[in-house]
Amino acid sequence: MAFAAVSEKYSGKMREMEVGAGDKKVLVGGQASMPFCSFDGDLGNKPIIAMEVYDVVDPEWPAAVVDPFKDVINDPVAWAKKNVEDYGAKMICLQLLGTDPNGENRDADYAADLTKKVAEAISVPLMVWGSGNVEKDGEVLAKICETCAGMNLLIGPAVEENYKKIAATALGYGHCVVSQSPIDVNMAKQMNILIGNLGLPLEKIIMEPSTGALGYGVEYTYSVMERISLAALSQNDEKMQCPMINDMGKECWKSREVKLTDVEEPAFGPDMEKRGVLWEAMTAIDMLLSGSNLLIMRNPHAVKLTEEIIDELM
Amino acid sequence: MSRIVIGAGIRGSHVVVDRVEGKVNAAIEKYGVDKAVGLPNTAYYLPTIYGITGIKVETLGDMPAIIKKCRELLAEVPAEDCWLPYLGPGLDSGMATAFAFDLEEALKYLEDPCPYLASKEDPEETDPDIWLGAADDIILRKRGVEFVDGSAPGFAAIVGAAKDVETAIKIAKELQEKSIYVFMASHSPNGVSFAQQLVEGGVQIGWNTRLVPFGYDHSAAIHAIGFAVKAALTFGGKTPGDHVNVLKYIKNRIFAFILALDEVVDEQYAAACGAINFAVPVIADTDFPEVLPTGVCTYEHVVTNIPQEEIVTKGIEVRGLKITVSKIDIPVSYGPAFEGERIKKDAMHVELGGPKSMGFEFAYSKPLDEVEDGKFTVVGPDMKDVEAGGLLPIGIWIELAGRKFQEDFEPILERQCHHLLNGAEGVLHIGQRDIVWMRVSKKAFDAGFTLKNFGTILHAKMHNEFGAIVDKVQVTIYTEEEKVKELLEVARKTWVQRDNRLADMIDETTDTFYSCTLCQSFAPTHVCVVTPERPGLCGAYNWLDCRASYEINPHGPNQPIEKGDTIDERLGKWKGVDEFVVPASGNAFESFAAYSIMEDPMTSCGCFEAIGACLFAANAIMVVDRDYTGETPCGMPFSTLAGTVGGGLQTPGFVGISKFYVGSKKFISAEGGIKRLAWLPKALKEASKEMIDKRGEEIGIPNFYDMIATEENGCTEEEVMAFMTEVGHPALEMDPLM
Repeated sequence: MAFAAVSEKYSGKMREMEVGAGDKKVLVGGQASMPFCSFDGDLGNKPIIAMEVYDVVDPEWPAAVVDPFKDVINDPVAWAKKNVEDYGAKMICLQLLGTDPNGENRDADYAADLTKKVAEAISVPLMVWGSGNVEKDGEVLAKICETCAGMNLLIGPAVEENYKKIAATALGYGHCVVSQSPIDVNMAKQMNILIGNLGLPLEKIIMEPSTGALGYGVEYTYSVMERISLAALSQNDEKMQCPMINDMGKECWKSREVKLTDVEEPAFGPDMEKRGVLWEAMTAIDMLLSGSNLLIMRNPHAVKLTEEIIDELM
Repeated sequence: MSRIVIGAGIRGSHVVVDRVEGKVNAAIEKYGVDKAVGLPNTAYYLPTIYGITGIKVETLGDMPAIIKKCRELLAEVPAEDCWLPYLGPGLDSGMATAFAFDLEEALKYLEDPCPYLASKEDPEETDPDIWLGAADDIILRKRGVEFVDGSAPGFAAIVGAAKDVETAIKIAKELQEKSIYVFMASHSPNGVSFAQQLVEGGVQIGWNTRLVPFGYDHSAAIHAIGFAVKAALTFGGKTPGDHVNVLKYIKNRIFAFILALDEVVDEQYAAACGAINFAVPVIADTDFPEVLPTGVCTYEHVVTNIPQEEIVTKGIEVRGLKITVSKIDIPVSYGPAFEGERIKKDAMHVELGGPKSMGFEFAYSKPLDEVEDGKFTVVGPDMKDVEAGGLLPIGIWIELAGRKFQEDFEPILERQCHHLLNGAEGVLHIGQRDIVWMRVSKKAFDAGFTLKNFGTILHAKMHNEFGAIVDKVQVTIYTEEEKVKELLEVARKTWVQRDNRLADMIDETTDTFYSCTLCQSFAPTHVCVVTPERPGLCGAYNWLDCRASYEINPHGPNQPIEKGDTIDERLGKWKGVDEFVVPASGNAFESFAAYSIMEDPMTSCGCFEAIGACLFAANAIMVVDRDYTGETPCGMPFSTLAGTVGGGLQTPGFVGISKFYVGSKKFISAEGGIKRLAWLPKALKEASKEMIDKRGEEIGIPNFYDMIATEENGCTEEEVMAFMTEVGHPALEMDPLM
C-alpha cells in the first residue's frame, strides 16, 4: 500500500497585521497551520525579530549584551540605527525602562520625544514597550500615540488595568497594540474582546501571553501559545486569531544561568557569551515552535542564529 | 407620547429651516456660490451633515441642496385631533433642524468678526467673548480618546440657563466631579446663558475644565452633536453617510444627554427632536408633557419637571451612564494586600459585632428614585464615641438600585462585603449575614477612619466592580443596639425568602443554563454546565452566581446556554447543551449528561470539591472530598483519584462534583440518585447530615444517613458491602450499575 501522508485540516487562519507606515511597513502573522507545518497549510509571513533598544541600561547586564552596543549604549537613536544598519534588524523595540516611577521616572514628554526621534531615524517599523508600571505606561504610551500620530507604531503592553487608555489613544492616532495577559488562555481572549470593544479592529492587536525564558517557565508559555494557536486554527475562534509576540530578550538575559561565571559554577564553562546566546536562541525557537510571530530579542548573534533556523524551516 | 412636544418640535423645525434658507441665500448673494465655507481645521466638513448623509459641504453653492434635503424631511404639524403616531415625523423634522443648524453655524465663520474663538481650548480674559464654537480635529482626538477609554463617561449638553448663578455652579460642579463634559449652548428666553452664569460666578470655563462654551445661539448646540458624529467617524471607523451605524455608535458609546433649563421655546423643541435621533434624551426642569416610551434612546426620551437640584442625577439615570470612582476617598490605604490582615486585640480601636455583640450586613434593592447614590449615614455612636478596645453592635444596611438590577443579585452583592471591606488597611471583616465580626485598628482610627468610610468603600467598589448592574449605592451603618436588633429581624425574613427562592428553582423550569470555562487555562477541554440543581464542581459557582457573572462581564467564562429540546430527561441531556459543548470543549466531546456518572458524565477540571466514584461490586457509589487523605473503597485515595478524573476528561464511573450537589435531587439521578450512596468520609458525612436527612425523608428512608458507611466501617469494597448488607442498604436491590 502506498504511503499517504496525513494532513491536518484547519478551518481558521491567523490575522495578518501591518506594522509601520509607508515604505517601512511589514506584515506579521497570517499563518493557516501550526508553526513550520507547511504540509498542513500556509505558513503566512516569516516570523520577525525585533531588536531591543533601551533608554536606560541596567548596570547588571552581562558583557555579552553590552559589548555589541558598547559605542551606542547611551544613545538610543544611534543604537537603533546600529541594530538596523549593522545587525540587520527588521524591526526595533524601544524599551522605555527609564520611565519606571521606581527607577529614573522619566516623564511622558521625554519618552514621546525619544520615540519620535528613534522612529524617524530608522528605516524599519518601531515597537515601543513601556516599563511595566501599569499606571505610568498608560500615561507614557498615550502621549507617544499622540506625538507619533499616523506612524502605525506597535505599542504595549496593554494589560487589564490600563488597556482602555492605551488602546483608545492607539485607535485615535492610528497605532497597533500589544495585548498582554497573565499566561492564561481565557484572559488572552478576554483582553482581545475588551480591546476590540473599544473599537480597535482585531487586525491591530497582537497577543503577548507573558513569556518565561528557558528554565523559567518556558513550557508554560509554550502550552498557552499552543492552546491559542489551536483555538484559532482548529476551533476557528476569531477572537483568538490575533498573531502572537514574545517579550523574551529581557527574560533570558536576567536569568541566573547567563550571569554565572565559571568560577561560581565550573560546570557551565568559561564561555559566557556562547551560553547566553544559546539561552536566548533556544528560548526563541521554543516560542516559534508554539506559534510566535514576533520576537523581541537582544543579542545580535542570537538573532542571527534564530533567523538562520527560521530560514531553514520555511 | 407627547403630541404637544412633537408638534412644537415640528413647528420649530419649519421656523429654523425657513430662517437658515434665508441666511444661505443672503450669503450666496453676498459672497457667490464658490465661496469656501466650513468649520476650522477639520477633515469632516459640516460633521452632522457629513456623518449622516455623506455629503461634503465645501462651498456656499453646496448649501441649497442641503436645504432641499431639510425640506424633504420636514413633516406637517400634526393637527389637534391627529392621534396617529408622530414620533417618526418628529424625528425627521428634528434631523432637518440639525442639518439647518449645521449650515447656520458654518455661516458664522464667514462673519467678520467671527463670533467664535476658533481652535482655542479655553477662552481668556483678553478675548472679546467666551464662545469657542466647533471643536476642531485636534481637540476632538485629544478629548475623544477620553470618551473611548471611559475616563469621560459622557457629556451633558446644557441649553438655557440655571435659575441663578449659584445653581449653575452647583450643576457644573456636580458634572465635573463625575468627569462628565459639559457642552453649553443656547440661552433662556430672557437672554441669559449657562456659560455666562458660570463666568459670572468666577468659574473657569473651557475644554481644560470640561466646561465647554459652544455658542450663545440655539443653533450652537449642534456642535455637541457634531462632536459625537466626529467621534463615531474617527474612533468608530464609521463611513460618512452610513447613518445607521453612525447613530448606533453614538447611542452605544457616546453617552450624552441634554439638560434643558428654564422655559423651552419651539426652536429648542425642534433641537430636542433632532437630539433624540442621536439617542440623546432631554431632561427639563420645566413642566411639559414627557416622551417616555423607550425606543430610539436607551431609556426615556423626554423627562420633564425635574428640579434643577436633581437634574444631574436624573440625566445620568435616564441616559444609563455608568459612573466609576477613580479613587476611594478614605484616610487609609486600600488594596488586595490588606485582605489577609489580622488585627489583634491590643491593636484594635473597636470591635464591631462578633460573638460578644451583634453584627450583620444586608444588601437589597429598591426603585431608582428611592436610593440616593453616595449617601452614607451612621446612626448611633461612631468610632470616636468609644474608648480604645471598645465594642459596638453593627448593622451594615446597603440599599442598591440599578436599571439592570435583579433581585437575584442581592445576595451576590451582599456577599462581596467581606472581600470589599477587608481591602482597607486596618479593617478586619469575618463572616456574613448575621455572623459579621469586624475590627478597626487604632492606626486606622488615628488616621481619621470613621464608620462612614465603610460606606465610601462599598459605594466606590460596587460601582467599579459591578457597574454593569448597579447604578446607585446608599449605605447606612447602625450601631444602636435597639435599631440593629430591629433591622436584623427584617433582614432575617428576607434571607429566609432568598434561601427558599433558590431551593425552589429546578432544572425543568429553567430554560437557560450557564457554562463555566474558567479552568480551561489548565484543562483546555473542560466545560462545566451549571444548572440550578447542579452547581459547578468547585462549589464556588452556583447557577445564580454564573448568571450574575455573565451580566457583569458578558465576555467572561460564564456564558448562557439555552438548553433547548430535551434529548434524554433521565440522563439530563439537552440539545442546546450538546451544541454548546462541542465547540467549547475544542471538539473533544459531543455530549454531556448532567445527571449521570456512567454515561457521558461531565468533565472534571481539577478544582472539584469532591469526587464521586462507582463501587461496582457493591452496586453503589462513594463520594470522597479533598480533605480526606486516607484510602477509599474504590482503591484510590483522593489524590490518585484526582489525577485520574481531572484534566478535562470524561471518565465514566467517576465524576468531579461539589459537596452541595450530594444533597440535590439531581445528584446522579440517572443511576438512582442518593440511594446509591454507600460511603463517605466521616467528616464529610457529618457536615452533610442535614442535607442527607432531608433527602432521606424525601426518598422515604428517614434513617438513610445511618446506612452510609465511613472509614470507621471500612475502606475496602468488601467491608462496605458487608456494612451495606448489615444495614439493608437500598443500592443492593437496585439495577446493576453496568
